[in-house]
Amino acid sequence: MTLEYVDAGEAIDHVALSAVGGAAPVTDNVDYERILNARSESKNWLTYYGDYDGQRYSLLDQINTENVSKLSPAWIFQAGQAGHIAGGSTYSFEACPLIVDGVMYVTGWDGWFWAIDAATGTELWRYKHAIPFDVSLCCSNVNRGCAVAHGKAYFVTANAQLLALDATNGKKVWQKTIGDVRAGESASLAPLVIKDTIITGSAGGEFGVRGHIDCWDLETGDHRWRTYTVPKPGEPGSETWPADGEAWQRGGANHWVTGTYDPELNLYYAGTGNPAPDFDGAVREGDNLYTDSVVALDVDSGEIKWHYQFTPHDLWDYDSTMEMTLFERDGKKLLGHFDKNGYFFVLDRTNGELQHVTPFVDRIDWGVITRDGKVTPRKYPDKEGEPVHFFPGPAGAKEWTHAAYSQKTELFYVPVADVGATATRRRREFKEGMPYWGAAVQVDIDDMNGSVSAFDTYGEEKWRYRIDYPMAASILATAGDLVFAGTPTGEFLALDSRTGEKLWEFQCGSGHHSSCSTYSIDGKQYVVVPVGWGGWLEGIVPGMSANGHGSALIAFALPG
Amino acid sequence: MTITEEAITEERADLLSRLGLDVQNDATIGRVLSTGSIAEATERADGTMEATIRIKEDEYCWDPAILVLPHGGDLELTIINDDKNTHACLLPNNGGPKFLGLLNHSKGKANITLDGPGYYWYSSPAGNDEGRGLTAAIVVGGEVPPEARLDRPKQPRPSKSIVKEIVKE
Repeated sequence: MTLEYVDAGEAIDHVALSAVGGAAPVTDNVDYERILNARSESKNWLTYYGDYDGQRYSLLDQINTENVSKLSPAWIFQAGQAGHIAGGSTYSFEACPLIVDGVMYVTGWDGWFWAIDAATGTELWRYKHAIPFDVSLCCSNVNRGCAVAHGKAYFVTANAQLLALDATNGKKVWQKTIGDVRAGESASLAPLVIKDTIITGSAGGEFGVRGHIDCWDLETGDHRWRTYTVPKPGEPGSETWPADGEAWQRGGANHWVTGTYDPELNLYYAGTGNPAPDFDGAVREGDNLYTDSVVALDVDSGEIKWHYQFTPHDLWDYDSTMEMTLFERDGKKLLGHFDKNGYFFVLDRTNGELQHVTPFVDRIDWGVITRDGKVTPRKYPDKEGEPVHFFPGPAGAKEWTHAAYSQKTELFYVPVADVGATATRRRREFKEGMPYWGAAVQVDIDDMNGSVSAFDTYGEEKWRYRIDYPMAASILATAGDLVFAGTPTGEFLALDSRTGEKLWEFQCGSGHHSSCSTYSIDGKQYVVVPVGWGGWLEGIVPGMSANGHGSALIAFALPG
Repeated sequence: MTITEEAITEERADLLSRLGLDVQNDATIGRVLSTGSIAEATERADGTMEATIRIKEDEYCWDPAILVLPHGGDLELTIINDDKNTHACLLPNNGGPKFLGLLNHSKGKANITLDGPGYYWYSSPAGNDEGRGLTAAIVVGGEVPPEARLDRPKQPRPSKSIVKEIVKE
């Protein structure tokens, strides 16, 4: 006799087996005008850096130097992780939470997106994109954040998809493939809404891809333009690559960190990554434009209006993807950039003209850049099999995590890493989808330190808060004369923005490798920080790579 | 004691069996992952793919252990538990995972959507079903859409020349 099967029915959404309600208040009135004036409504954190200028500075001052010692946790959101995922040993929060009218939008590793009640920490809805286990990730399974506009929430995934979700329930509205995972491409940056478009960039420079920046229609996802950051033969800049070679096809220059934007100039300032192969320059003779550069793009056409290269012919993995902070001095429109190569650059952002260069870390011996920008390399992997030690290591004197700039103090606050590395050139043949570094690399594990350092706009150091490890998390500055920063050992710090004195700390239980933000609800200011130790730890601070993992979002507020 | 390495020339399936790696409680306590069968999904005219996955009695292994899809898209699964123990099935899916409880001798369905290319794990998320062997792979073949590929000549790949005309010149 054949026994009938018990009817198991149809598989349900896993989230149905949770307390998540699946709905968030409507936040559909975030438009370009609001984002243009994001800082003026500092009760929200409307866009990746808090404002198009990249300053990571909030006007909120309820939490200030007088009362910050009373700051305590308001709520904790714990994400956790189950099952097999890509980068299961290295995944991490790297996001900056956005807050829109009481709703927090935050992305995680492996395709996670959460909407959270920003006052209580209650999860409102979740979206989980399925990410292939075998996706190519140079560094880890991470995502740096999202954008919110016109009732939709946007983010990219590790398998190079751009998604528009309904901001009220997390349901997919549209999806676009923005890169080729077979080529080793991925995506990790927070997309940026500008006008009626959204801008993305690609990751994958360690796999020998050709970097690009893309612009998409905000409403439909239709493709507006793509600009490659490595020129083809015959295009401007192609003379900086071998004329008869294939190097440009694999040249890197990926835009994997969100850019900044000047609406008056209509320019998007995109940082670009290292050339590929990272450490074997002999296969790509020349300056290798537009690697390790800032490219100023016309946002309507994608045309490169000007560029400035921070490390010509890079041999140390000194990406320049990190923030291009926009500020004014003496009526002049300027751009400040703390580069992996250990130098602070100030440019005229109307035309890219260099104003001055100054070092911001103690140990730099890969080469020298004079105040007027002359670059002289000194130590680099050159001969096959011969180890070369240099400072800073390939994660840089400042990794991707962001500096802040206070309009009140007119100081930059920088997460500084002081650690070296040894690279031994090992040439390898290019094969699509395979890592393409051209060297064996080992970052020092027993000689390192770091700091939160304050600099004026001329690069003069004003104070330094020292720690024993490289800093690996973004800084936040507020009008409460405070600077917030998380350490690799888990402390979340509040420093006096004028002196660097530590005024408060809280041990979060795991290292910090994300971007905190601040907001206010019903007159109460919060500071929120994603916590969790992961990312490219073998490059940033390998001596701390065995620290506990963690994955929590912690919001702090004053009592009462 | 001297340990020497020796090249093994047996077929993989025979070797797994002889060493007790493909059953419960032999060499291993559970069953080593991906030691089960391999099957391909079928595709309907509308592009939707179909397959059946099953847990056989006392095997604690999804059959097939590797399911291969020709491309990304929608997959309709029939899921059968022929075991005399209760299990479950948690499947990857764009939007959020799908869950199906599987009582002893039960049968159900799941509809999931996956991007390609790449591969995904799914499992029975109960006790340590995953470690005992109830973790399996869905492999999605194919290429990304032409408009998402890099503007560069075709590049060499490491695998045994299955590169098709995929990269625009």
